Amino acid sequence: MSKLISFSLLLCLTACTEVLPRQRGNLALPQMAITPDALEFGLRQHTAFSKEAANGGYGGGGGGCGCN
Amino acid sequence: MAVMVVVEVAVAVTKSTLLTHLTAAALALPGLLPNAAIAGRVEETYNADFQYGHYSESGQRIDVDIFEATASMPVGKNITAGFNVVRDVITGASPMYNKRDDQGQIVQVLSGASRCGSSICDQRDAVTGNLSYFWDTMSATLSGGYSREHDYTSRYSALNLSFDLNKKLTTVNVGGSVAFDEVQPTYFNSDCGIKCHKTSQQYLLGISQILDKDSLLVNNMTVSYSRGYLSDPYKLVAFYQPDSSYVADPNQAGVYQQLDPTNPDNVLIGSDTTTVPMTIMGMRDTRPRNKFQWAWLTQYIRHFETLNHAALHADYRFTTDNWGINSHTLELSWHQPIAEDWQLIPRFRYYSQDQADFFRPVFDGDPQQYKHYSSDYRLAGFGALSGGIKISKAFTELKSVSDLRFQAGIEYYDHRASYQLGSRAANHTFSDFSYYLVTASFNLKF
Repeated sequence: MSKLISFSLLLCLTACTEVLPRQRGNLALPQMAITPDALEFGLRQHTAFSKEAANGGYGGGGGGCGCN
Repeated sequence: MAVMVVVEVAVAVTKSTLLTHLTAAALALPGLLPNAAIAGRVEETYNADFQYGHYSESGQRIDVDIFEATASMPVGKNITAGFNVVRDVITGASPMYNKRDDQGQIVQVLSGASRCGSSICDQRDAVTGNLSYFWDTMSATLSGGYSREHDYTSRYSALNLSFDLNKKLTTVNVGGSVAFDEVQPTYFNSDCGIKCHKTSQQYLLGISQILDKDSLLVNNMTVSYSRGYLSDPYKLVAFYQPDSSYVADPNQAGVYQQLDPTNPDNVLIGSDTTTVPMTIMGMRDTRPRNKFQWAWLTQYIRHFETLNHAALHADYRFTTDNWGINSHTLELSWHQPIAEDWQLIPRFRYYSQDQADFFRPVFDGDPQQYKHYSSDYRLAGFGALSGGIKISKAFTELKSVSDLRFQAGIEYYDHRASYQLGSRAANHTFSDFSYYLVTASFNLKF
């Protein structure tokens, strides 16, 4: 956990620039959302989860199923 | 199947509400989680989404039709409520175990047909709900869900918190979820009797960071722990035993047959007399009763103004677990706006995993030599390449709705042992398969 925070702070110190609120229009575009299509994302994640051993990373948790 | 609760994380920029949404965008980052609330960003619209999906595996294996609907709505000034329902209709056949053919090559044996014409005829119904509360620089989302199949039940709840820091350039997300699952195999399984249980926990720590006015970076770490019955009650493991003390019934050789009525976990799945007298024992899939998995995800998203506001999404994920499986996932997608609110989204994904410590295609020797064993192809070493394309069309000039969007996509997935990083299991071609996934959806905001 501390490594994650340290990494992000270090990254920010070295790479981040101040972005004023009025400059964030591009970041608000639909295609810039981290998950532009949440329904499809969920279906694709579930499909991968049922065919592969990897799980996690994206967070959100959720229930299990008989598919895996 | 994980059930996704949808709270829109994108801010729709329509001509009529441009100022409102730019203001909202200025106040907050896009969300870290697809189902998590975003600090300082309460929903301002009613949202309704519907999705149909069709999944089809090669070799006439599994087909799934997916029907899903979700809705979210503002409740007062600080709360957003949402719910999601999904139905999966599943038919087909699934790999049950592996065996050696006459040439000694490993081949898969699929589950046989049943009353409905397919070996698997199932339906999964699930419902989830969530409630988010927003403060100026923080939000909290409480969610829960219930999923039911004829032999599997899952209940889960989750809490996610989101904090804005550093003039809202940084968002920290923390979350935890717990799922309680019950498995009721359609036939007796001595590992769990009539019903067996599994409990899964997952914890998240994530940071999303605006790098500049055109890019942002997400780093997530999740820790998952599952304990209980983690085996697959419908899969067998073939043990080849030369000069076995087990004696096959000559009238039943090559078919499923209970060898020892006092031990229903030991079934005879065949005999091989082409070389030396040999009995093939089919043992129930037996995995450890706990699993610990650690995952790291980095996502980079960049905007290209000179390319008609196109966006690149690049994800890399690494996972490792105490079953000996390390995995790498790389995913790239390009979101290209084209004329008249159309958007074209090609994508590419590569996945590779190592095999579990207790995986073998088939086993040789006495099962009692092994504590855990599985021949499930999902625990094998393999790689997968997939590619797809999606098209999206938004309507922003309608009177009764503020945003209407149609989306359709297709993705092809190719699973091959030879695609594994290092190709350490390249000769395990018995489990190669492919599938395609078609999706179509429409999203309403009003």
